[in-house]
Amino acid sequence: MNDNSTRQISRRDFLRLAGTAATAVAATAVTAATAPEAKAAPAVQAPKWESKYSVCDMCFNRCGLIARVERGVITKLDPNPKFTKSRGMLCARGNAGVAQVYDPDRLKTPLLRVGARGEGKWKAISWDEALELAATKMKDIGEKYTRCGMLFSAGADMQSGFVNRFAEAFGSFNVTSHESLCLLSGNRAFLDTFGDVPLPDVKNSKYVILAGANRLEALVTPDSMDLISIMKEGAKVVVLDPRYTKSAALASEWHPIRPGTDMAFMLALANVIITEKLYDAKYMAERTSGLDKLADHVADMTPEWAEKETGIPAADIRRMARDLAAAAPSSMVYPGRRTSDYENSTQIRRSFAIVNALLGNYDRPGGLVPARPAGLKKVPGEPPWYDDNPPGRVDAKSVPLLFDEEGSFVLTREAVIKGAPYPIKGWFVYKTNPMATAPERAKTREMIDKLDFMIVVDITMSDTAWMADLVLPAPSAMERTDPVQALQSGAEGACLVWRDAVIPPLYQSRPVFDILKILAGKLGLGEFFDFDIESYRLKQLAAFPEAAEIIKRDGVFYPPNPPLGGTDGAAFKTPSQKIELFCSRYAEMGLDPLPVYTPPKPSPDTARKFRLVVGRSACITQASSTNNALLSEFEPENMLWLNDEAAKELGVKQGDVVQVESPVGKGELKALVTPKIRRDTVYMLSGFGSISGGLSHTKGVGASIVELMETRYDSICGNSAIHETFLSVKKKGAA
Amino acid sequence: MKRSSIGIIAALVLALAVASLAFAEGNARKGKFLYRQKCRTCHGATASDLSPNSKTQADWKKTFAKWEGIKCAKDWKGVSDADRGDIYSYLHDYAKDSPSPAKCN
Repeated sequence: MNDNSTRQISRRDFLRLAGTAATAVAATAVTAATAPEAKAAPAVQAPKWESKYSVCDMCFNRCGLIARVERGVITKLDPNPKFTKSRGMLCARGNAGVAQVYDPDRLKTPLLRVGARGEGKWKAISWDEALELAATKMKDIGEKYTRCGMLFSAGADMQSGFVNRFAEAFGSFNVTSHESLCLLSGNRAFLDTFGDVPLPDVKNSKYVILAGANRLEALVTPDSMDLISIMKEGAKVVVLDPRYTKSAALASEWHPIRPGTDMAFMLALANVIITEKLYDAKYMAERTSGLDKLADHVADMTPEWAEKETGIPAADIRRMARDLAAAAPSSMVYPGRRTSDYENSTQIRRSFAIVNALLGNYDRPGGLVPARPAGLKKVPGEPPWYDDNPPGRVDAKSVPLLFDEEGSFVLTREAVIKGAPYPIKGWFVYKTNPMATAPERAKTREMIDKLDFMIVVDITMSDTAWMADLVLPAPSAMERTDPVQALQSGAEGACLVWRDAVIPPLYQSRPVFDILKILAGKLGLGEFFDFDIESYRLKQLAAFPEAAEIIKRDGVFYPPNPPLGGTDGAAFKTPSQKIELFCSRYAEMGLDPLPVYTPPKPSPDTARKFRLVVGRSACITQASSTNNALLSEFEPENMLWLNDEAAKELGVKQGDVVQVESPVGKGELKALVTPKIRRDTVYMLSGFGSISGGLSHTKGVGASIVELMETRYDSICGNSAIHETFLSVKKKGAA
Repeated sequence: MKRSSIGIIAALVLALAVASLAFAEGNARKGKFLYRQKCRTCHGATASDLSPNSKTQADWKKTFAKWEGIKCAKDWKGVSDADRGDIYSYLHDYAKDSPSPAKCN
């Protein structure tokens, strides 16, 4: 434990480190203020810090926390024990939230680009000048190219809804979020099967198949904690992943599945459940449609067939199907979150949804449960109509079933580059970073080069901000007053949270709400922002007069949660009003109504023999946290996971720098030579290889996933497909 | 780059080929504006709190096939035939069983 030579850091060390760093910052910040108080008598002394509720912002989970504030400085973040969604936990990233607040890399003033785009030459300007410029440019673009000539993109943030509200009032249909670079294929598939996107009730499950979801590292609360709890109580968790992840290490069973073959596995599960009649026949007859067609479809898709595709022994597949069915309805194929992997990801996730349907687990404990009522009210507005606007989004009809509110970032980008069907010349970006998350970075750059004006509002100079004309400093979450957000927690129901500022905004930062409100005023749209956040929250909470006081008291409010089974007897929100094993809408649209398996395409180039798969770890959430001073102690760089036998053939040893190359880009990073990955696959963490000069921990460190990934997308919903790229790998300096 | 362009063109052709019952013919976006302007004045205030996801696509279709029979139709002053078509498209295209159901309040 006291061996200084080890690079491993224990949790205790981490917390001590966080404390030290925070205290150092605190000390810096208070030197000019009051001197420390004289030593008071011991005992019965109130703690010297104030405790203030807030909500974490280090990822999308929004875990409740309590900030310790000492003389105006946040010194530590603790979990809020009343916030049950996170099971009273705040993870490593959450603890490191202090370093986000006091990050020396934070943006401090509005910055105007003065050099060539991406050159990194900036001039600090006043807020008045910045907002006047932004309003003028937006107005000009709206007049010249129609209101749809402005694109708006906002990340998963508690104020992002205001960006959408502004876009609607401004009159642009072109809005994207991180979702089409992440989770839309899964949403599409489950919506088209169940008529809603249900949530996993892991806590009550007896058998969970995690296919590709690395839930014990890519944390989702409460699922990650619940997986551990249920295994202690005897539940089985099976992991399918080409990589021996920490989820695999802790699971009951791991199968290194051949990448891109999950659908074959799922269809074989369906084959066994159907041929052995392991389903509830009455339920299937009453609640599902298309069982006969599904039975015909999977008749030949035996475990023996799937073994050849997946590499998973047939006997294991058969056993898993039987065990899954025996535990039904308290069993599930975990739906997963990031489903942006293949061009047929919607159909792959349809096969996940179909197995769940065969388990009869909808609205049952331990199965998939419909989103619980949150009771939050929308704050209405009556945005104007602009007659000269084009008929729809710039990416409309580019795929058969685009989500109209989200669109597809990849296809929007394509349209901006082409200038068709109509030009987009302005881009407003809030806390999202497509230069680090959208495949083929060169294309995102090409898109940006087509723009007349680009504004980025963020906490630090992200790679996307680095490309902008105008960069506006946002406060960190701990400095903000935020609207109410509903968060879901499996069968336990929704909870409602908000943020009150723990400390005042640092530097000259301003929340995006204030920015939008001022811009709206300048553009004659003030009536759509004629409120402050406090009054907005009360409108959101109109159904619960007591909620505001409870959130102030506890940091969280739990609306009434009706028991599961409430949908029994009610129609599903699908065209057939049943769970659609056979998707009637797909049939009508000429799409495969049942998921048709095609083996993953091999690499088109024998020199590029490794399929690239990517992910995140428990210590970082993509590029939004890799530059965090504390977290970079854990993940200082990304390395290429390379199978040991493959490495031997390539003459690559542990820690060697390797050069990786795809048809669209190159990178250099160290090799992590390991038996924990298939020899046909390589893996990298996201969030490294940054180009922004404002990111002192990640600029040029490791390799960027988006520099390497080719542009691919889901053919049904336009979600990006980021596991479709093959890389060549060679030792640096080798011929 | 060429490959992805071909892919995108192929997708566009496919999308155009699959004219679908999932979408109505009017301008659903304009319909949303008109619905807020013309219908929300009562619905959600003095009349039932309707939104597209109050009904299925089939129900909206049935309701609007005989729109004269809708209880409040006599109060639809200033709603042209084209406006009604757009409002129908909005309600239909974002119905509760549609491909993009309107988010609940």
